[in-house]
Amino acid sequence: MSGSTIKVIIGPQHPALKEPERFILETEGEHVVDVRVRIGYIHRGIEKAMENRTYLQGLYLSERVCGICSDAHTTCYVQGVEELLGIEPPPRSRFIRVVVAELERIHSHLLWLGIAAHEIGFDTLFMYVWRDREVVMDLLEIVSGNRVNYATNTIGGVRRDLNDERIHKILKGLKVLEDRTKEYLKMIGKEQTVLKRTVDVGILSKSDAIKYGAVGPTVRASGVKRDVRADDPYAAYDEIPFNVIVEDGCDCFARIMVRGREVVESIHIIREALKRMPDGEIRVRVKPRIPPAEALSRVEAPRGELLYYIRSNGTDKPERCKIRTPTLANIPSLCKMLVGGYIADVPIVLAGIDPCFACMDRVLVIDKEKREAKVWTLDMLRRYGREWYRKR
Amino acid sequence: MILTAGLGLLRWARRKSPWIIHFNTGGCNGCDIELLAALTPKYDVERFGILLKGSPRHADILAVTGPVTNQTKDRLLRIYEQMPEPKYVIAIGTCAVSGAPFWDCYNVIGGVDKLFPVDVYVPGCPPRPEAIIDGFVKLLKKMEEGGNG
Amino acid sequence: MGKEEEILERIKERFGDKVKNMAVKRLRRIFAETDAKDLKEVLRYARDELGFDHISTITGEDLGEEMRLIYHIAYRNAIELSIKTKIPKEDPKITTIVDLYPSAGIYEREVHDLLGVVFEGNPDLSRLLLPDNWPEGVYPLRKDVSLEEIREILEKGGERR
Repeated sequence: MSGSTIKVIIGPQHPALKEPERFILETEGEHVVDVRVRIGYIHRGIEKAMENRTYLQGLYLSERVCGICSDAHTTCYVQGVEELLGIEPPPRSRFIRVVVAELERIHSHLLWLGIAAHEIGFDTLFMYVWRDREVVMDLLEIVSGNRVNYATNTIGGVRRDLNDERIHKILKGLKVLEDRTKEYLKMIGKEQTVLKRTVDVGILSKSDAIKYGAVGPTVRASGVKRDVRADDPYAAYDEIPFNVIVEDGCDCFARIMVRGREVVESIHIIREALKRMPDGEIRVRVKPRIPPAEALSRVEAPRGELLYYIRSNGTDKPERCKIRTPTLANIPSLCKMLVGGYIADVPIVLAGIDPCFACMDRVLVIDKEKREAKVWTLDMLRRYGREWYRKR
Repeated sequence: MILTAGLGLLRWARRKSPWIIHFNTGGCNGCDIELLAALTPKYDVERFGILLKGSPRHADILAVTGPVTNQTKDRLLRIYEQMPEPKYVIAIGTCAVSGAPFWDCYNVIGGVDKLFPVDVYVPGCPPRPEAIIDGFVKLLKKMEEGGNG
Repeated sequence: MGKEEEILERIKERFGDKVKNMAVKRLRRIFAETDAKDLKEVLRYARDELGFDHISTITGEDLGEEMRLIYHIAYRNAIELSIKTKIPKEDPKITTIVDLYPSAGIYEREVHDLLGVVFEGNPDLSRLLLPDNWPEGVYPLRKDVSLEEIREILEKGGERR
């Protein structure tokens, strides 16, 4: 492959549930020299639909923007609406929100860890991690009644309470998770397959991370201590001491370590939240009509800064509901990481920002000299990557 | 519910080894992760002989998640057309079944049966892995009874 | 005086009447308005002198006769300053800010795709979210096109009458 235009369309036909998206990569030899983005394959038209729904109906829609971080979306949304209403949810509900949000972070990071392992060809680790992830799925079900789409948040508080029995089960499950995650982190740190494919791969310097607006574990893996939970606290995060996990590696390996260590930190946060949880009611009733106002709500979703800007107009439907997901924020940084890197690294660098699956599957690779359009599937690209590394 | 599959069906499935191609038309991934969970050790749908494959030309079953959107409609149709007969379709999740809750979103067309016939509907938002497996078992039954192979 | 008030004072001192309706709405939330022609200068000041090194996003809104753009920038990931500006709907354009905030490019592209605002100087305003076969000139987030109308247009396969 020497300086030609190859279009690599990474199709959606992959067992590991990818959605169709498009990146256009220009290559020269074995390197990527330019990246263009064309996402939107799953664009449904949610912001417009929000204007057509009451605030409560909008809650159900926000939950389904993303099935993996649905709680982050509903938390961000209800906080915005509560601010429009000028109400505070009861203290106990704010702690329950933290518990559910951190359980979601654990499930999301473990899901990602499994997928990332699969990207490198480490399928055994994928299976182990997803088996252990079932522990947190069980906990989420205990807390909310559902494995995915927990529907715990409502405008004015939460819908389900925690009792001693549930809390006891959560603590038991967390202990198991903690032990296993620590084992995985130790193992990953020594595993040559992982190290070869991720150390010094997908470099994003500290200054670039800030300049290109990176968020979440991606920005923290470049040595930038930024986390909405600590910087712009919401729910009960300002009442719970915790650490912001930062790594200096600036590479894919650092991104793995940040997420892995965040799982352990989330376990700690849940324990603290349960310890400090006050008694009391879990929701307040709210009025359907909201006088004209505006609110900018932010949360730290598993993938990073998520924000909702909502404007009310005196009716029971919002005038405008703007949603900015963390994956969109990380796309400029992703482009920066890919340029100058090897084609063989493309799958793992893409995976490194933990794309909300919504953004990452369609890739066009344009090789500048030959000006050909060749179609590659993501599987082919992965196989190319693995072979390429085997030969080195 | 998995036990009700019956040993005969299990043997049939292992003999036939139905291949599935999965396509997400534009969903939130909720159903996808539960479908994937069904493949993992705890649920292990592979013991039924069901294998997830990448190519429509060898697939027996098309599993669709997500609501059909404008931009994915053509690709979904192409995949369906490339599948050899006899082919079966399973719609996983409420979006694939009917498009809800995105029914009025401008880019959403609706459920899968707006494009071609569906053999098994698995409602849920998302359906649990057990429900997805139950859907596959029902589909396997249908394939064994109706299919000519 | 809290940090929010300090920021507010410094902007007032530097820009006077050019920045209007500025208020600390609550902890870590400042809202302000400025004319489109002054916007970039205000953003540059906020970035260079006040330490607002991150742009969270750009919100676009259809107000009827005008379009409103809100630039949400962050100080230390904590304090959000939302600067609003208006542009005429008849000729919805404004200068790009990608030279100030490189990541703004993707947010400008999104607003262009869904609302039709032109960000002059942005090297890439190609389609971001809407599908390839989306009809030209139909901006779904504008108020003058309803959900039903959009669906009708798409069903008819393209042109808006």
